[in-house]
Amino acid sequence: MKLFVFKSKDKYIGIESEYIYRIIDDYKVTPVCLTPKCYAGLIFYRGELFDVINIKLLLGSSEYSESAYDELIQNQRIIIVKWHNKKLAVIPDEIIGMIWIDGDFEGLSIYHHEDKNINLITPDYIWKKLLELSYGYH
Amino acid sequence: MDITKYEKIFAQESDKYLKELDDLLMQVEKDLSNLALWAEIHGKIHSIKGMARALSLNKISDLCHLMEDWSLTFQKGTINSSPDAVQALFDSSDFLRYLVSKKGSIETFEDQKLYSSLISKFEKNPSELTKTGSPTQKDQTTNLYQSSALTIDHVKIKYSFIEELLGLTQEIQLLAKNFPTFSDNQMTSGLKNWIDHYATLMKVLYFKLTQLRLMNVGDFADLFLKSIRNIAKESNKSVNIEIIGSEIQADITLLERLREPMIHIFRNCIAHGIEPAEERTNTGKPANGKITIETRSEKENLFIKIRDDGRGINKSSIIQYLKEKQSMDDEDIGRMSEEELYNTILSPDFSSSAKTTELSGRGIGMNVVAQSIDYLGGSLSISSEIGKGTEFTIKLPLSLSIIYAIVFSIGKYNLAIPTLYVESISNIDASSDEDITSYYNIKNFIGEEDNKKNSYNVLNLKYFNNQAAIIGNQPTLHFIVDSIIGNRPLMVLPTGELMSGIKLFSGIGIMENGDVTLLLDIDKLPSQNQ
Repeated sequence: MKLFVFKSKDKYIGIESEYIYRIIDDYKVTPVCLTPKCYAGLIFYRGELFDVINIKLLLGSSEYSESAYDELIQNQRIIIVKWHNKKLAVIPDEIIGMIWIDGDFEGLSIYHHEDKNINLITPDYIWKKLLELSYGYH
Repeated sequence: MDITKYEKIFAQESDKYLKELDDLLMQVEKDLSNLALWAEIHGKIHSIKGMARALSLNKISDLCHLMEDWSLTFQKGTINSSPDAVQALFDSSDFLRYLVSKKGSIETFEDQKLYSSLISKFEKNPSELTKTGSPTQKDQTTNLYQSSALTIDHVKIKYSFIEELLGLTQEIQLLAKNFPTFSDNQMTSGLKNWIDHYATLMKVLYFKLTQLRLMNVGDFADLFLKSIRNIAKESNKSVNIEIIGSEIQADITLLERLREPMIHIFRNCIAHGIEPAEERTNTGKPANGKITIETRSEKENLFIKIRDDGRGINKSSIIQYLKEKQSMDDEDIGRMSEEELYNTILSPDFSSSAKTTELSGRGIGMNVVAQSIDYLGGSLSISSEIGKGTEFTIKLPLSLSIIYAIVFSIGKYNLAIPTLYVESISNIDASSDEDITSYYNIKNFIGEEDNKKNSYNVLNLKYFNNQAAIIGNQPTLHFIVDSIIGNRPLMVLPTGELMSGIKLFSGIGIMENGDVTLLLDIDKLPSQNQ
């Protein structure tokens, strides 16, 4: 099984590689008002719209004061994830690459690889976290 | 009455029936004694005849009438059909196609001759056909109509191929952003013009390609015919289906996501709306129930109405639920509009709590249906009349349609309002005595700093009915913006699931250069004090 690994703050995060649709860079992100801090904006890529999420801010948003849009840097690399009928663009701190692991990692939450502890997450987990946040006004 | 609208529907429907008729004739040609196929053939011809009669297209209805007589004879098995009889029906089907295209009129003497020969052929008993001349030899003149029907004007391609083309054109457009730098003497004016022209054509090509993703809503409704028939059969009911307003186009991805919710609504209409045949005839209704799918567009929205002619929803059951489960009294309920009352069915706890009432079926899963439509940036509403039927209205942003909008910026945000709502654009000088408080300023609300400026751009919005945002008694809303980008054509996409919670947006607009802008729903602008 192939695992796509990237870094978010000091954590290594792995997602099953079959969900990775594209890695793009130098792409214009349009900010959206009334969204949570981790929501950087929207990109229109190859005829489709993607919500752009800063994974670091999603997994530890209370630690940061800056919003994901203000955090964007030049030539920011963005990972586009597609699974089932859903899609999302994720901003990592750093892309590590692909690793091959034996067997299935179902049920695992951490995988040890070359002195690294890789936190295994699914796109559904990211989506669930996003749905817990508040959008809009009340 | 706008007769052209009905003529258009007639042309579309007849085209569909004639295609189906040809398919059936091809099947029956191989199985001449299949009575069920003859019954279906009879049904198709009958449908065309009925529509033609309603529009007084007598030449079409007369020919259909005679064709129908023959099919009925074969359907009953009183006379055996023959290859010649099937050929005669094929010829007539071709000629009907020609008549439909000419709105039922015959223009030339030759055509009149052919029409008369077909009529006289069908006036005979089908068994006589083989006795006269050489009927297996097809009439030469009908070839004319058949050849025109064989013209290829449509091709079938995979949706993924369109996506691929869109991706490629977008990448070519992106290349323009990384254009290598040329020195002044390298970049001649001729070269510059050529590049500009090329880039413009690429944008136009991209825009045209995006329109390939649009699908005829009528064709989409057609996809449900078989499902409705199957659901009706499961419930031991028979349902006729009517599709109105099929010419509107919408984005395939949006329609695809509507499939499940619509099936759910049909299931509800058939299982709980439409009465069993006996109950219907007892109340003076036709034995077959009827479901109408009507589509229309209004402003930047698509409306899909699903109507049944069933028993309607009993209001007293809703009232009982509101009293028992929502602790509402008669006064509270009296204040609710009809729409609010019926929409109670869509609330999440309605289905489970109303399980024991006669209304239970209406509620099951309806909150899930409403939720999935909500995710698409749309809404679902219900109206009903006891004994007459129920209507479900799905309102959706008309995705991927091209609309014109005034694009502007406020702080770091790129926003747009459809040009339709903008009466004028003005500029105010804040350093003068002008009272800035009578202007609508959304800056603080969207989290942008409201730094005092000397002058502001203002969009004066008309058709403004949003009571919450209105300032004083002004009929127009003076909407302050930082800078105006321009009046731009936008391709509108629905807001996704995450953004659907932000009620402020009616859709996402894509500009010709691929830039994204957020379309404001002016009916959802918050009050200035929020």
